[in-house]
Amino acid sequence: MRQKNFMLHTLYFCTGLLLLAGAGCKKRDVADLQPATFPNRAEVFIDDFTGDLAYAAFGGSDVRAFQVDKTVAYGGTAASMRFEVPDANSPNGSYAGGVFLSKTGRNLSGYNAISFYIKASQPATIGVVGFGNDFGENKYLVSQNGLPVNSNWKKVIIPIPDPSKLTAERGLFYYSTGPEAGRGYTFWIDEVRFEKLGDIGHGSAAILNGVDKQQISFTGVSTTIDGFSATYNLPTGINTTLNVSPAYFKFSSSVPSVASVTDKGVVTTIGGGTTKVTATLDTIHARGSLTINSSGAYVGAPTPTRDAANVTSVFSDAYPNINVDYYNGYWAPFQTTQSADFTVGSDHVLNYTNFNFVGIQVTSPTVNIGSRANLHMDLYLPDNITPGATFKVRVLDFGANGAPGGGDDVSDIVSFTAPFLTARNWLSIDIPFSSLPGLSTKAHFGQLIFEGTNISNFFADNIYFWSNPVVPTVAAPVPTQPAANVLSVFSNSYTNISGTDFFPNWGQSTVVTQVPIAGNNTLRYTNFNYQGLQMAAGQNLSTYQFLHLDYYSANAGALNVYLICPPGSPGGTAPWEKAFTLNVPTAGWNSVDIPLSHFTPQVALSNVFQFKFDGGTGSDIYLDNIYFWKIPPVPPVPAPTPTYPAASVISIFSDAYTNVAGSDLNPNWGQATVVTQTPIGGNNTLVYTGLNYQGLQFGSNQNVSGKTFLHLDYYTANSTSLKVYIISPGPVETPYTLTVPTTSGWNSLDIPLTAFAPVALNNVFQMKFDGNGTIYLDNILFR
Amino acid sequence: MNNINKMIKQRHFLTVSLVAVFSIFLSGCKKEAVQTLPERSWTLVWSDEFNGAAGTSPDGSKWGFDIGNSGWGNSELQYYTNRTSNASMNGTGAMVITARAENFGGSGFTSARIKTQGKFSQKYGRFEARIKTPYGPGIWPAFWMLGDNITTDGWPLCGEIDIMEQRGQQPHITLGSVHGPGYSGGSAITKSYALANGRFDTDYHVYAIEWGPDFIDYYVDNYLYQRITPETVTGKWVYDRPFFLILNVAVGGNFVGFPTTGTPFPQSMLVDYVKVYTQN
Repeated sequence: MRQKNFMLHTLYFCTGLLLLAGAGCKKRDVADLQPATFPNRAEVFIDDFTGDLAYAAFGGSDVRAFQVDKTVAYGGTAASMRFEVPDANSPNGSYAGGVFLSKTGRNLSGYNAISFYIKASQPATIGVVGFGNDFGENKYLVSQNGLPVNSNWKKVIIPIPDPSKLTAERGLFYYSTGPEAGRGYTFWIDEVRFEKLGDIGHGSAAILNGVDKQQISFTGVSTTIDGFSATYNLPTGINTTLNVSPAYFKFSSSVPSVASVTDKGVVTTIGGGTTKVTATLDTIHARGSLTINSSGAYVGAPTPTRDAANVTSVFSDAYPNINVDYYNGYWAPFQTTQSADFTVGSDHVLNYTNFNFVGIQVTSPTVNIGSRANLHMDLYLPDNITPGATFKVRVLDFGANGAPGGGDDVSDIVSFTAPFLTARNWLSIDIPFSSLPGLSTKAHFGQLIFEGTNISNFFADNIYFWSNPVVPTVAAPVPTQPAANVLSVFSNSYTNISGTDFFPNWGQSTVVTQVPIAGNNTLRYTNFNYQGLQMAAGQNLSTYQFLHLDYYSANAGALNVYLICPPGSPGGTAPWEKAFTLNVPTAGWNSVDIPLSHFTPQVALSNVFQFKFDGGTGSDIYLDNIYFWKIPPVPPVPAPTPTYPAASVISIFSDAYTNVAGSDLNPNWGQATVVTQTPIGGNNTLVYTGLNYQGLQFGSNQNVSGKTFLHLDYYTANSTSLKVYIISPGPVETPYTLTVPTTSGWNSLDIPLTAFAPVALNNVFQMKFDGNGTIYLDNILFR
Repeated sequence: MNNINKMIKQRHFLTVSLVAVFSIFLSGCKKEAVQTLPERSWTLVWSDEFNGAAGTSPDGSKWGFDIGNSGWGNSELQYYTNRTSNASMNGTGAMVITARAENFGGSGFTSARIKTQGKFSQKYGRFEARIKTPYGPGIWPAFWMLGDNITTDGWPLCGEIDIMEQRGQQPHITLGSVHGPGYSGGSAITKSYALANGRFDTDYHVYAIEWGPDFIDYYVDNYLYQRITPETVTGKWVYDRPFFLILNVAVGGNFVGFPTTGTPFPQSMLVDYVKVYTQN
């Protein structure tokens, strides 16, 4: 009862009017007043510490910054609080800051503001002042940041957002500020008290800085709401905005089955659907909201399956990750990207929001990715793909100095756009280092940078560098060339030439062995730098056209193959050898058919006696099916018989259809070509021998405008150039280039007639071929 | 005369203080009668309840616009427009005049000023409006009247009766004034009325005058806080002809000072109704 009376008296004192107002009203009752369990003393510091007030300085601050000043005080009162802000780097502390605590706690629920007077020895900006800092939970913290002061006393009012919360508040007042331009100064605060002011109005509040945010989410994902503020219009008509703690807010989720929200603003998605999380401060509906669009159960990125031995992981739950400085460098001033990483169960996922670019850095230490061949990452775009959306990945190596700068940093970038980019699917990206030629060194990988256009949000997982297994897990593909066309050096599929030395001592570091890979004998180079191959005798390859090679290397940075003839061989020239570059590393077995013409004129193809491989730096190379082969000069089989309905075909030369009558297959246009017809497997075939050019005059002008393709079957073992034309009167003619020689037998081709524009398709009367070699043709028709 | 005015003012301060305390601490209690007011009875002759659809302009049969950025004799900063973004119905029974910080016609602010000139005017009676005022330094809302003869005799000879004027940097104070020949501008006859523990802009209040041949009584929420009589004015009593009504929100000007960077924009004055009565 004494306490109630005390409180009542205080109220009388504070309002100064309640006595008058109360006169004549019988219904007023002490019971109307809220029971108090803590004293409700309003005064914090008037002329000295009041009541149970205590002071505690912040760690690292100048603990002697605060003193009671009996010479400077507001309105000629006895004393004020003096705060001496230290110089920067002062040995006593680098800033001034501390808390004025109530030792027992006070009931401040009857007030709606704290007010005080402040002045300073110079114009300055006080970093922060406020209340609710109790050196503990700071549950009901209210802060005014950046308070301008000058050498005149001014009154500052900091409204209490919801006084009903403050029934036992210990943090009555706090401040923290640093020097101005490195130099200290002094400020004074006086007449600090809580008040009940009738002329504070227009309260508003915000969460998420007043922004209505949308978030893609999944069951199990948690997001913490931030950006809390409250704004009040002061008696001077000016707004003041305060940073306030989440405990002042009451949160709600419109569909609780989609996401729940705690008192501290932690939103946890618990089901599929859409919910809007909003908040109120006292009776004020706060601006800003978080709309959760949940797809329900989280579908994670595909679990990586590569052997950890072949992986260097930056971010993955499947592998041990290297030491990463950060996954978001917040690179000022241009980066807007925020991180909203989340965890579902044990699956950690990177989530970048408001994305423009973001960097992941690895400097402690940098990592050698030279033994890797690819970068993998899984990417998820939760928003619809907008026009112009581009996602870029840059890999950066810090060079020999292992540190940013120094002129030796190298990097390269790869872009991804629609249609590869799709929304709401995990996209697995694998970037072979061959697509990053600018990444010319790989020993000091230091940064991975994502850049985006029109992509505001993405998830990333399983970011790692990888290489294929050093040892192939499958055999090289089995060759299909008929043995009659092959001269084999190393293959299980053919009879090899005898007497080859696969491990001649040329001073190399390479160790050569032959190992079974899936039961197939395979040539293996380990610790490869270079390696020769010595045939028993010089081979005459004059009738052969290609060198075939199957090769595999998960870790080679470069690989070249050479043919070599003995110096002085007729038909060759110094240096008597020529390299062909093989693409490495490989994602599996690579098969290559190198035209032997590539090795001329340095190599005399009539007398090839050695191979050489080089480009290695200790890498592992697997080789198989090393052989020379040729296309038979005469097709061993007839051209495939066309199966188009006769009614849809205008045939010029084919056994399968009735041809246009009266065509001249060998008009005299002054050409050198010899034209014959020969049966191949019983099928009449047109042969051009010694082609320079050759015409073909239709028996009548043909309207092929209703047709779509010119079809023809062609075969040539030795042509290196071949074009086909159709011609309308004018003449109007357009060439179409044919791929030669035909390395896989008859080549059946359908050429869109649109490729021959501007030939008048309704009036075609001639065809023409030009090029070289011996050409077999069949089934020349429009369809 | 000044003493009488002070007396009224002081008494009223007390009254308002009492009411404020009642409403805050003792809301269950019955209010005491605190003033003995003249008993007058009235007949409604003209009104606008502003019940138009949201976004529509004020009723053109009742209201016209002043348009432009002349400063209106007070170095005001706004450009008055007739756009609905500056004056329109809110669809829930109020007319809203909104002052905006935007560049328009060479001015840095826009607002609106509507008037019944040429459409309605009246000599004597009760003139009242229920208004929720705007706020912020440099914001100057007003509900006021001018004599019909302004076009022939000019100001201040025509007379001006300011039923409500406020300065946005003092949202707890409202003012009532008259300007006439010899007592205009800075020497107007004026009285301010303050809330001891509250402010006008956070809720609607009814601002009114009751005007007869030899008095103008000023009311806020039916509390008389000022009486101006022919003896009160320091010049000629010109309040004996029809006056028309004006509602506006000015930005800046001699009366209120400049808006500051701390002035919240936009600022809206909401007018629930305007009613004019004649005395029975």
